[in-house]
Amino acid sequence: MIRLPALARSTHKWLALFVGLQAVLWTAGGIYMTAVHIDIIHGDRLVKAAPQPALALTGLVEPAHLAHLPQGLKSARLETQLGRAVYVVDASGGKALFDARTGEKLSPLGKAGAEARAKALFAESGAIVSTEYLTKAPLEMQTRHVPVWRVEFEGAWRPTFYISPYTGELVTRRHDLWRLFDVVWMLHIMDYDDRQDVNNILLQGFTWLTVLGSATGGWLLLYSFRRRRRRRAA
Amino acid sequence: MFLVRTLHKWFGLVLGLQFLIWALSGAVMALLDHHKVSGEHAVLPVAQLASGLNPAPLAAVEAAVGAPVTGLELKPLFDRWVYQAETPSGVRLLDAETTRRIEVDATAARTLAVARYAGAASVERVDLVTASTHETRDMALPVWRVGFADADHTALFVSRATGEVLGAKTDTWRLWDIAWMLHIMNYGDRQSFNHPLIVTVATGVTWLALSGLILLFRAFRPSDVAWIAAPFERLAARRRGRARVIGTPSAGE
Repeated sequence: MIRLPALARSTHKWLALFVGLQAVLWTAGGIYMTAVHIDIIHGDRLVKAAPQPALALTGLVEPAHLAHLPQGLKSARLETQLGRAVYVVDASGGKALFDARTGEKLSPLGKAGAEARAKALFAESGAIVSTEYLTKAPLEMQTRHVPVWRVEFEGAWRPTFYISPYTGELVTRRHDLWRLFDVVWMLHIMDYDDRQDVNNILLQGFTWLTVLGSATGGWLLLYSFRRRRRRRAA
Repeated sequence: MFLVRTLHKWFGLVLGLQFLIWALSGAVMALLDHHKVSGEHAVLPVAQLASGLNPAPLAAVEAAVGAPVTGLELKPLFDRWVYQAETPSGVRLLDAETTRRIEVDATAARTLAVARYAGAASVERVDLVTASTHETRDMALPVWRVGFADADHTALFVSRATGEVLGAKTDTWRLWDIAWMLHIMNYGDRQSFNHPLIVTVATGVTWLALSGLILLFRAFRPSDVAWIAAPFERLAARRRGRARVIGTPSAGE
């Protein structure tokens, strides 16, 4: 018959052998994820918080014209981009951008148009380092759609804006703190593939082994503080 | 090594319970299907409206809103097209053809929720949420909470300002949210995980894990791996024995 303390020690040891390294990655990664505020990770400070100006509605193309587009209209949005009133139209054939005063189609945006939009939205003063037209979504764009303009700025942590050529909208923004967070997240959820699946079998197995590992650690504590008490009693 | 062992023991005593809670809540969240947690299966996509839209001119919209318009959206809302006008004093919703003001009241919210609800159960109750709750913490308030009488206690949330369905919450989400609360150690609004308590405890528990990892290098003795090593050793011994038999042809005798 095996002694209970020996059993506790042995199970704790063996479970730790399997999950020990992952436990360090979980906890150390946890420090990064909790210590750096999520708003900083999301890059909120990178985007200019200028309120939309009031639109001068008189003389603009009437929405009735949009309603008669050949392809089914899903929705249309009138807003200001680069000081000019535009329609962002979402139809069955895709999204498109129109000048709301002249009716001219502005999309798909060229390099200059995308850079102008990115610059107007960027809250810092850094210059543009590179502009690329991507037809394949990079990992850091996650599930968002391509094609997209990738505009990288000079500045701390390599700030990067993704601008939609069809709508002129800021699809998302990234910087190195986000990129590091994403690596930590990948290690945290143990999905080394697309870093999204929190229900993968590897994570499920490791989490339950860790539950057992820490529970046996607690069990082991019952025996770990005894010796001194005995010595004192003696 | 003795110091590492002592520290591992004491950190385990003080912070071990939180490590267990992290492992357990993490295990629960890993088991709960995140598609079910998000409630996306409970909400239908916006239905396409038949064509024949004849939206009112912008001048009529401007007159009906009566405030500076900073953004204007023409979109379908269940059975009709609406103009959603953003003004410095909030959002106004107008019927796109008549420009009559639309108020998203309890009856309208109920209709809008039923139209997007993927299930077949009936509406149990409709409540206006004006103060943030666990279910609505990420939504712009006020919202209508439309509860359905299904097994999962599904609730759809309809914005009072825009009439949009902002999401769905189910019992799966409510269970997940308890695990989330324990995981982020935020027992209040369960929202922020950037607070001093969790950073401090995470730092301590990192040491607990790291010291445990260090101890592993000393924890295993040959006797621990005997059951793995034994067959190989027996094999090696047998081979050695055979080598001796072949290599020493009765020379010493």
